[in-house]
Amino acid sequence: MRRELGIFCAVVVMCGFLFWSNHDFGNAGNILNLSRQAAMLGIFAIGSSFVIITGGIDLSVGGIIGLTGVLIAKISSPSIHCLHYPLWMGIGIAMAVALLIGLCQGLLISKLKLPPFIVTLAGMLLWRGLAQIITHGGTLGLGTSPLINLSTEGLFRYGYHSVLAYPVLMFIGVIILAGYLLHATVFGRYVFAIGGNRDAARYSGIPVDRVETLTYVISAGLAGVAGICYASYIGQMTYLVGNGYELNAIAAAVIGGVSLRGGEGSVLGAIIGSIMLELIQNGIILFKWVYHVAGQRKVFTISSNWTYFITGAVILLAVLIDQLASNFNERKRLRRQAQVIAAKQEGGKTAAGAG
Amino acid sequence: MAHDYILQMHGVTKRFPGVTALEKVDLELRSGEVLALMGENGAGKSTLMKILGGAQPPDEGTLRIDGNPVEFRHVSDSRRHGIVLVHQELMMATNLDVAGNIFLGSETCRWGMLQRRAMHTASESLLRRVGLACSPATLVGSLTPGQMQMVEIAKALSHKARILILDEPTSSLTLTESEQLFKIIGDLRRQGIAIIYISHRMEEVQRLADRVIVLRDGKRVGELQREQITQQKIVSMMVGRELTNWYPPLRPAAQYPAILEVDNLIVPGAPCPVSFVAGAGEILGFAGLVGAGRTELMQAIFGVTPPIGGVVTLNGKHFRPRSPRDAINRGIYLAPEDRKHHGLVLPMSIAQNISMPDVCNYKPFGWLHRRQEATVAKKQLNALRIKAPGVKYRVGSLSGGNQQKVVLGKWLAMQPKILILDEPTRGVDVGAKAEIYREMMELAQQGVTILMVSSEMEEILGMSDRIVVMRERRLEGILPRQQATQENIAALMTGAGKT
Repeated sequence: MRRELGIFCAVVVMCGFLFWSNHDFGNAGNILNLSRQAAMLGIFAIGSSFVIITGGIDLSVGGIIGLTGVLIAKISSPSIHCLHYPLWMGIGIAMAVALLIGLCQGLLISKLKLPPFIVTLAGMLLWRGLAQIITHGGTLGLGTSPLINLSTEGLFRYGYHSVLAYPVLMFIGVIILAGYLLHATVFGRYVFAIGGNRDAARYSGIPVDRVETLTYVISAGLAGVAGICYASYIGQMTYLVGNGYELNAIAAAVIGGVSLRGGEGSVLGAIIGSIMLELIQNGIILFKWVYHVAGQRKVFTISSNWTYFITGAVILLAVLIDQLASNFNERKRLRRQAQVIAAKQEGGKTAAGAG
Repeated sequence: MAHDYILQMHGVTKRFPGVTALEKVDLELRSGEVLALMGENGAGKSTLMKILGGAQPPDEGTLRIDGNPVEFRHVSDSRRHGIVLVHQELMMATNLDVAGNIFLGSETCRWGMLQRRAMHTASESLLRRVGLACSPATLVGSLTPGQMQMVEIAKALSHKARILILDEPTSSLTLTESEQLFKIIGDLRRQGIAIIYISHRMEEVQRLADRVIVLRDGKRVGELQREQITQQKIVSMMVGRELTNWYPPLRPAAQYPAILEVDNLIVPGAPCPVSFVAGAGEILGFAGLVGAGRTELMQAIFGVTPPIGGVVTLNGKHFRPRSPRDAINRGIYLAPEDRKHHGLVLPMSIAQNISMPDVCNYKPFGWLHRRQEATVAKKQLNALRIKAPGVKYRVGSLSGGNQQKVVLGKWLAMQPKILILDEPTRGVDVGAKAEIYREMMELAQQGVTILMVSSEMEEILGMSDRIVVMRERRLEGILPRQQATQENIAALMTGAGKT
């Protein structure tokens, strides 16, 4: 919880700071857009977290996002080059494909013991490639498809905006489900146990293969859900949608305290990590600092070319602080242990003296 | 006479915040002497050796080498004086060859090019010194633990070691390998190399040591010369009291109704099938050398590596275990040999570890019932006298004995029918050992069948109702208590009875 709290504080401070530097940050439009972005990232970052907590990794997430979006457009878009089937069919098939991909990857990893890095690296190229083949490398518009409304509409209208856009609602649904699954059920306990010590889990009769496979299904399924959102949000699909998002998911998870060594992490961490990541990108655009030189008003802004650099620095900083904090705690723990032993010895001596 | 000693440590004190790990410890060593350093876990042996190895500076005290005061700030300082420590866990790069490991970190090279030829030649002569007959080009990964130990010693010799520290060198060796090691220790001693020998095995110490120094709670509590060494004396110094009831009294020999029948079980990799019968409430000891196939047999019965043929019969029901879950559902549980890797999830709490095999049953409506989990764990914590602040305490921070008790607790919480204990007291201190033995006896009284794999002869003799002896992955014989003497078991174990 320490890690989540720390990042949460950092998020709050950053929000305050951004609002102070540029009041546009607090605009309904910006806040709602930010929440939508964070929600879409969060959906598949939570999926990735399941895999990472078992000690695995899923690099195919971005590819699946691209493929599901392209499939929906191809099957159900009313535009040219598309098949004009109803939307529910498009979404249904796309989700089925995503889940199937997760199942295949999961089985290859758990049953055949192929390294997850390689399987999902191949997956990343396969599914992105499949999307490219379907689109012929071009663009599929969603045109007047009702899917377009998914990302803009929502509950509780406020001026032109919905306070809770559908992606945000879906995110909340995912949070509740995933939080329940990971932190309150036996399945979740198994996920942590496998990440903590796979062999001990097996010796305890835990169905390691099944649980591991399921985490890949969850990851792929949530990537599919995110793919639906992105298709709606962008309004037209190219095979490049979602390119590199697997790394965003990993970054969000890691910032939120999910350990790549496995066995550590939480849904809350993935959420806050996602918010943090989107906040950085938003902040780089919005940040401005007004200052006066010789009576002249000047404004300092950050070029968006700094985005990658700053994101990288934040990831490094997050794990660095975490490591330093845990080193500090470990030392404190050892000291306490030493005191207990010393006290015991002291007690033994006085008892012996009395006897 | 100070120059008699190759090494003198005087008044060495080391304090860690709040605790004194070493208090005014003296230690002196002559060249060509084997000094055994003994003490319970936490007595300060490893701290003392770390100071000698230069890994930690002492707070007080002096070190003299050949009578000259020295100060070790870094491992390389002590290396320079010819002090080499061979760790208990072998630290070898298994993907490199023997020569590569011997010269790891001190490679001979010219213009940055490795001089393989030179290193191989040098390795050959070093290997000859330690009596290891293998080519320097052999991959270390393909060696047995015993051979790796020899490579470690060869590596130490390559550093021109004058003082060799061996930390529990025989813990993973077979008897023959140990014999080989003892022979080499004898050779080294004759060459004038001083050896500090850390071990818990009394027989070895009795056999090898010229002198024993016993540490307790960071203090030197005694010294014994070769002719004074007896097990009783050492143990009483170590624990500070005379040990009377190490093993619980043996039960009278009895007939136990058969409950588990293992019939022609084919363990993957074993040359022939294995059959035996165990009775309800019987403690069946499995003796053998390391690598005799005992662990593999247990893993097959437990379903970790499913047997490829044969039948196990429990209470009249036939089955062939396919997975640990399969065995667990039938009441067959295994506490593995390597508890850190196979028995426990170290970063998780005591409660979470104890509940692990059974947690699938703590779920009304899919929720994991944490209160039930804590209750079950608390019961085991009290029953087994696990020393921990609470059930939420991290298992990784417990001592070896308490960790082993957690492994036991996890199975005891599920009413075992057959409990397989693979090296139940490895790395466990004397006090916890006695408690584990007592617990085993109690379980046996309740009718639980215990299959105990142990490499400690005393433990086998002290605990078992019958003894199964294995050798080279075959079952060599089953000895009832009356016939179970050290000689009989050893003869079967080593195949000495045959011609």
